[in-house]
Amino acid sequence: MSQGLDLPLREQAAAIAAGELDAAELLEATLGRIEERNPALNAIVESFPERSQEMLAAAPQGPLHGVPVVIKDEWPLPWRAQRFGAADMLAEPTPGESGPYRALRDAGAVVVGVGNMHELGASSTGNVSVYGPAHNPWNPERCPGGSSSGPAAAVAARLVAGSVGADGIGSIRYPAAYCGLTGLKATFGRSAMAGHHMAEVSTTIVSGALCADAADCRLLDSALFGEELVAGRPSALRIGVIRDEVSEDVAPAVREACEAAIEDLRAATGGEVREIELPELAAATLATVLIANSESLGSITPERLNNLDPELSPIGRGLLKYRVLLPAVATIKAQQLRTLARHTLATVFEGVDVIAWPTVPAVAPPLEAPLVELPSGTLTADEANVRGGALANLTGIPAISVPVGSSEGLPIALQLQAAWGRDELLLDAAEALEKANGRRWVEATPAPTRGAETLEA
Amino acid sequence: MEPPTSPEDFIPAGLAALGIEADEIELAVIGAAHGLFWPPILELLALDTSAIPIERNPDLSKAPPSR
Repeated sequence: MSQGLDLPLREQAAAIAAGELDAAELLEATLGRIEERNPALNAIVESFPERSQEMLAAAPQGPLHGVPVVIKDEWPLPWRAQRFGAADMLAEPTPGESGPYRALRDAGAVVVGVGNMHELGASSTGNVSVYGPAHNPWNPERCPGGSSSGPAAAVAARLVAGSVGADGIGSIRYPAAYCGLTGLKATFGRSAMAGHHMAEVSTTIVSGALCADAADCRLLDSALFGEELVAGRPSALRIGVIRDEVSEDVAPAVREACEAAIEDLRAATGGEVREIELPELAAATLATVLIANSESLGSITPERLNNLDPELSPIGRGLLKYRVLLPAVATIKAQQLRTLARHTLATVFEGVDVIAWPTVPAVAPPLEAPLVELPSGTLTADEANVRGGALANLTGIPAISVPVGSSEGLPIALQLQAAWGRDELLLDAAEALEKANGRRWVEATPAPTRGAETLEA
Repeated sequence: MEPPTSPEDFIPAGLAALGIEADEIELAVIGAAHGLFWPPILELLALDTSAIPIERNPDLSKAPPSR
């Protein structure tokens, strides 16, 4: 059964469909592995064996029939309200059938646990949560990435083969990068979003899959998209690269691995690398932060801010209060920059198929002090990561993070971005890149953990 | 209330004007965020964006309409 646990998501699904793997046994084994390995990782904050067994008993013969998955604490379940990683999420948490839950259920998947997340979704690190931080399976003293920290750590540690996160400013791609997974940020509006507490107001958040590789993401994202993401074979791929701080102010090992991966992708597709310019990129980062933060202000009142749950972290309380001081005129200008960035990208995508740069500029930093060393100096991980993650959320385009190397025993990742609606191309390109490097990085796994100790492989 | 006389006064004065309480730790967090965000916000405010239209109800799932 441990072989079934370690199969890729698609192979679990295929083996169950073929009668070669018993879904009930797989569920039992998965719950056992969670019990065994999760305490050292805190990736899963709640499991509910009876609910999972009920889901399996009622599961339709869909493409994910019987496959165990984890869902982020951002999505309500019928039997559990989301907590958004926080003691106080401003909105009223309510149980219910969120869009991702329905998509998973209708595809036959079995939700086996809720994934940890950074408090209020407010960081790329995952080091603050009402549940305590999740740990990176590659090194439990390092950040797993955020805000989808638990979904990423759960898949990297092979507690499950797939999980569902959410990405408002890089929150699927950062943890995918830190944990050595593939994570797709969908084109805005293309993946299931119903039931999210900000579904009616957010213009940046999307749901999406985190899996070991692109083929598994394709399967799980097909369920979330409600349509099959048909595989293709990219040829003569035109890869846009940019020569500014997003690509240049990165740790040398990250730069080297990403440049090698870009060359691998070019050679594998018979394509070419073209230098492009995105003059609005630096301002676009701030614009995204301003827009994303202002979209949650509708539920804020001074009285509410004066009565936040005392268990909310001081960082969370301070950042919530700071939001009301952001000038409205800056948010209006941010919307203008969004328009400008979207037009610039539309022009850029006439000349290239994908834009490539490092997902994050350095490997996962320590949980205790999430700082990164870059050529420009020491930065907070958030300050550094948002440079490369924000553009896709601001403009609506899809983006994918693909593992392409390692340094200090921690994963390195390349981000590919494409024009609106070309999510399939990103999955195709990621698969081409995996093949080009012999699937070395998508098949790498960290040493399994038990209890509070890390075991040697 | 007296108008703020220095940038350091902005945070407590702004919060007080809105009737929002903050303890010392929260003020330290807000101060750190302010130090990070305010310089680029000032740069953004200084930009002449009068020629840039805002898309009305932009459909972020698609490319913007051609100008």
